[in-house]
Amino acid sequence: MSRTRTIFLVIVGIALIAILVGVTYVLLWRATPSGSPLVPTRQSSEPIQVTIAAALSVEPWVSEAAKKFNTEGHQLEGRTIRVSVIGMDGLAAMGRYEREEMDPFPTAWIPDSRYLVELVNATFKTKLGRDVFLTDGEYRARPIVISLFAWGIYKSRADVLEKTFGEINWRTIHDAAIAPGGWRDIGGKGEWGYFKLIVPHPRKNIGGLAAMVSAAGEYYDRPNISVEDITQPEFQKWLKELMGSVSDYASLGAYPGENLALFGYSAGDGGQLLESDLLINMAGSMNRWEPLRILYPKYVTWFDFPFSVWIGPETSAAEKNAALEFEKYLLSPPMQTEAVKFGLRPVLGQISVEQPDSPFVAWSENGVTPVVERSTAMRNPDRDVLLALLRWFDLNIAR
Amino acid sequence: MSPARRKNVSPGRALVSALVASGIFFAACASCWSVLATLLPDAAQVEPTPLPYSGDALRLAVSPEKWALVEEIVNQFHAAGHTTSDGRPTRIQLLEMDAESMVDAALAGEVHAILPDSSLWLDILDRRYAEQAAVQDSLGVPRTLTSGVTRWAISPVVIAMWEDTARSLGWPDRPISWKDILERAQRDSSFRWSHPSTSSASGLLATLAQFYAAAGITRDLTPDLARSESVVRYVSAIQKTVRFYGEGEWTVIQRALQEGKHYLDAFVVQEQLVVYFNRQPQRPARLVAVYPAEGTLWEDHPLALIETPNLLPIHREIYQALRSHLTSEATQQVVLKAGYRPANLAIAINTATSPINPANGVEPSQPQTTLQIPSPSVVEIVRDVWWLTKRHANVYLVVDTSGSMEGEKLARVKEALVTFLDQIKGEEERVGLVAFSSWVYQVEELNKIRDNRSRLLTAIGELEANGNTALLDAVWEAYQQLQRLGDRERINALVVMTDGKENNSWLSLSELEDGIRRGNSRGVPIVIFCIAYGEDADMETLQRIAEASGGIVRVGDLETIRKLYKLMATYF
Repeated sequence: MSRTRTIFLVIVGIALIAILVGVTYVLLWRATPSGSPLVPTRQSSEPIQVTIAAALSVEPWVSEAAKKFNTEGHQLEGRTIRVSVIGMDGLAAMGRYEREEMDPFPTAWIPDSRYLVELVNATFKTKLGRDVFLTDGEYRARPIVISLFAWGIYKSRADVLEKTFGEINWRTIHDAAIAPGGWRDIGGKGEWGYFKLIVPHPRKNIGGLAAMVSAAGEYYDRPNISVEDITQPEFQKWLKELMGSVSDYASLGAYPGENLALFGYSAGDGGQLLESDLLINMAGSMNRWEPLRILYPKYVTWFDFPFSVWIGPETSAAEKNAALEFEKYLLSPPMQTEAVKFGLRPVLGQISVEQPDSPFVAWSENGVTPVVERSTAMRNPDRDVLLALLRWFDLNIAR
Repeated sequence: MSPARRKNVSPGRALVSALVASGIFFAACASCWSVLATLLPDAAQVEPTPLPYSGDALRLAVSPEKWALVEEIVNQFHAAGHTTSDGRPTRIQLLEMDAESMVDAALAGEVHAILPDSSLWLDILDRRYAEQAAVQDSLGVPRTLTSGVTRWAISPVVIAMWEDTARSLGWPDRPISWKDILERAQRDSSFRWSHPSTSSASGLLATLAQFYAAAGITRDLTPDLARSESVVRYVSAIQKTVRFYGEGEWTVIQRALQEGKHYLDAFVVQEQLVVYFNRQPQRPARLVAVYPAEGTLWEDHPLALIETPNLLPIHREIYQALRSHLTSEATQQVVLKAGYRPANLAIAINTATSPINPANGVEPSQPQTTLQIPSPSVVEIVRDVWWLTKRHANVYLVVDTSGSMEGEKLARVKEALVTFLDQIKGEEERVGLVAFSSWVYQVEELNKIRDNRSRLLTAIGELEANGNTALLDAVWEAYQQLQRLGDRERINALVVMTDGKENNSWLSLSELEDGIRRGNSRGVPIVIFCIAYGEDADMETLQRIAEASGGIVRVGDLETIRKLYKLMATYF
């Protein structure tokens, strides 16, 4: 073989090897889900991004925790975890998941209540044949704090209501709502106008739906509500009269507690709202108007804020695990202690709500209690009940 | 190369070998490149190419009554030098729009964020979007176009009155109701009051209050009640007492500053503007805010992101930065200083230094109650019925077609006149057209717009420019026609536009002024709105004509003439 031919063959051989290596590499790289390389590359030192969609009531606390978490430089398999938080009402988040409009796609979701997770799971079970949030195992949806519905009513108004009706509950609130002469008939001042209930728009805020479920519970005097209950004409008439006392659904928006304090008794005398919302807005109410009184209803509606990791392929395994790290952080004693300052009740049994700077202590004279003595909890409504209530609302109130 | 070796290799074989080698070489190069391409970051990631300024900027629509404050806050925002996560500057482009236009612009994807005067508009916007998009989730909750709604400043709607007028109604010893105002307006023909059209929150509230008063209720206004004959008759009678509608709260307060008690006795504005008025050193007298006894409405000035497909990640980042800026302690103090109630509840409004105090005509513990805002469908009915019951107008458009108007000037005016006609929604309004150059031409007689809209449009299209400027004769001719009509039920007005100086009238300016003053006092009051078009327009003459009738002069150019005519249409 001549020297020229040898050189020629060597060049061809090297080129063929290069082609083989190149093709193999590209095929393997493309086959890897989400484009993450099989072999370690310099990208592995980049931070793992974790995005959390958090219910509006816990968003301030979760955001504060994320800031601390990021500052402390937590790592997973040598990579720093970076957490960003998006505040989103539970109903809005549910809609975005179902319409596949989440952008950026959250690694985990903290909705107001477990039943929202179940509703999203039910939708995806029809679409994909599987759950997208797990209910058991390592990635199961786990409550990180809890809160409950309580009556928050401006003191001057609550005092008159109690004097006139005795106990404040949905039935007596209904009586106040239908008083033809408004407050003058109830025993208050004529200039207060008619009784104005605060209920957020049920299509914009999960609190609005929960309030209607809670009202139905007291109407029927039981904690479980069915579609048949909702469709009873007598109940519908009663509910319409009650909801007819809401002054303005448009401007109540996503933060009913804040709005109660911002617009004062001019827009709402009170309503059944999240205890944490009432607590963190108490100082504001007093600053602008007057104190709120807090009272606990007979049937308690709990909100458990489950930390729910998305298990679909839209997020990588590293991101899912990093989300779990953040979940552990939220469940740590220091963060659970921090949650109390935001009016939230910790899920860790050893953390008391009676600590210095706690709103549970600061506003105890306004009626907030460390232990909720009411023991009957409203059961989570199923999809059909929610659908029936929303349809009723659309036809009778929103139209 | 030796001749012998050359002889051993055939040319065809050499060509094949060369082609094979070249092919393998290029394949190897391509292969190596593909490996490198996967290892190297994308060129775009290494150095992001900044988008042009206009594309990067957040287009934010702002309602007129808070333009000055928002402009100040946005200037502070720009001065702070905020940047996005990839180092680009955060820029905001402000666009002044009334709330109705804002809804249209948001649906058309022309803005990234909006700042209307009330959440009512967000509701209307989302409702209209839901009708178009028809996308729902499993609970039937429709997709919304607005997101990230943030409150940063609020102010209740009040009836602003001169202090002596308020006292004559019993203020401050007894609460004053909408009914008191409406009864006074009907009883006393010299009582002049006004509210904006229903395209602003304050106008809508004033209209709602009339419907409630007519129905004798303060809540549960139903579609049937809103359409009932007795309610429509009552509202119609009340509307006949409105002097004119107008561009909105900001313009009303500016005119009150300039003209004092001659302007109006009472008008509907947000509380903040009463504070603003009373803090002006040149204010003619003190205004007080009356919080109506039946209840009022809040202007809550929500900031909302518009989820249009052309919304880029940079716009979201700028929006977030703006939200933080608006709700920061420093900005919230600016908000309070401007007379708004800040959304930051830690800031007290009843302190000695707060402008929300009785010295400025307002009361921090008010309002005690609000009127119920009906559902969006009832609000729509109220707005529709208002168009039928509102005080109708007789309007003459008086247009300069002298030689100086030739070319683009006249072309733009033609567009503006068409815009004016488009804005006149009620088919009952009467509009006529007078053109002037060396002579005065009655182009189209005054007639209900449902009968002459197409004739007016044709006539506008046929306008030609030539000759001199007989401005005064033209104004007098149109004025006399309205006087001859003698219609006291309606608003009577001229909208006069000129780009030059009077040089061809028989009438002198002082004769015209005398004639207008005499006619307005003895006959039908006619308001003359003047538009000075371009730099050569005779401002002094226009000012004197407008003042003689209680009207105003606005300055326009090629760019703004259309908008000016659109604004003029809000008076009718």
